[in-house]
Amino acid sequence: MGVLHRLRWAVASAGTVPLLTLASPSFLKVAGVSPSWAVLWLLPWSLADGPLSGALAGVGLGLLVDSLQVGPETQIPALALLGWWWGRLARKGPPIERSLSLGLLALLGTLFLGLSLLLQRHGISLPEPLLRQAGLHTLLAQTLVTALLAPMICSLLLLLWRRQGAISKS
Amino acid sequence: MPIGRLPRLEPLRQLLRSWPWGLLVLALVAVRLSKGAVLSDAYALLSRPFWPGSAQREWLQSATGLEQLTRQAHLEQDNRRLRRLLDLQRANPDKLTAAVISREPEGWWQQLVLGSGQAQGIGPGDAVVGPGGLIGRVASVTPTTARVTLLTDRTSRVGVWVGRTQRHGLLTGLGTSRPQLVFLEKDPQVRPGDLVVTSPASTLVPPGLSVGVLQSVDDKAVPAPTAVVQLSAPVGAIDWVQVLVTSPAARQAP
Repeated sequence: MGVLHRLRWAVASAGTVPLLTLASPSFLKVAGVSPSWAVLWLLPWSLADGPLSGALAGVGLGLLVDSLQVGPETQIPALALLGWWWGRLARKGPPIERSLSLGLLALLGTLFLGLSLLLQRHGISLPEPLLRQAGLHTLLAQTLVTALLAPMICSLLLLLWRRQGAISKS
Repeated sequence: MPIGRLPRLEPLRQLLRSWPWGLLVLALVAVRLSKGAVLSDAYALLSRPFWPGSAQREWLQSATGLEQLTRQAHLEQDNRRLRRLLDLQRANPDKLTAAVISREPEGWWQQLVLGSGQAQGIGPGDAVVGPGGLIGRVASVTPTTARVTLLTDRTSRVGVWVGRTQRHGLLTGLGTSRPQLVFLEKDPQVRPGDLVVTSPASTLVPPGLSVGVLQSVDDKAVPAPTAVVQLSAPVGAIDWVQVLVTSPAARQAP
């Protein structure tokens, strides 16, 4: 694990995720769908702080995001897996910094998260046409807007977390 | 080993050292179990300056004028009939206007959050109406917010009535913009365009509230015919709603 999780304000910044989810600013929507703020926060955190911290942050973030939903579906397993995967990618390979890479990782992460929710709602059977249409609309729009925002938001957050990590180490 | 000295238990010491993380996990679990009550209240407090303005409220009030007039006649007729038949003393609910402060894309047709809660007298089970008719019921409340389960939510079940043919049915949400009406009889004699109102026999919501219009009818559905209902209230785009607040005594009554 890195040193980022020792910074209390950095951990507390996860609190903005449910608030942004509730606010869902209209100017950041595509076809009426907001980005996945959980993915946009978790991606730079995991890349900067490693797989274990990423997975634990995914669990914590999942608890927060799940509390905003009435239904029994949960985002915890998907977010924990994504946190672990992104942390591992950063540790095993060269540093991930390019906008395209961040956008691609966010796209895959949002797609995985959305599919896990769809799978929990409808199982492996295909839902009715109306439901399928609504589910696919949300999934595709959220994936698109998250991937478009990731290069801007994630690269700034990644820079911030890496600087803070370096300051804490020194 | 000298008496009075305990062996060094490094794992235990590490566990004791990480108590703030334990507290954080407990806090997160508490937030999850409370269905985000703290988050909703915090968001209501922070977003108060940005709530929909008074102009929108006036526009909404004038738009609901026509609907109120048509509904009033139906309600009065229904009330007279019910009181005559059942001799039942019904609590007259107060109307409370509340702003919609949050909607989430994942649960667009499932729920919305209102900027008024327990402090204003709202309680679980209260009916929520928008311009045009019923949109749902209050599922849970915090001191300053209320979470509304919409008629389009898959868990929503409300007894409704087709006034023209006087047939009962169960309005069931599908998670999409249009709920499904399941009739209780084999031949409900309904057709697209029929008006749907809340059932005069309903104990969950006040009787005679406008719900919507039958869009299509499936006569061949088994075991009973079904219909797709177009809700009369624009659930997809709504900023202000009215909560029909029932008194605490009426709420406790079965």
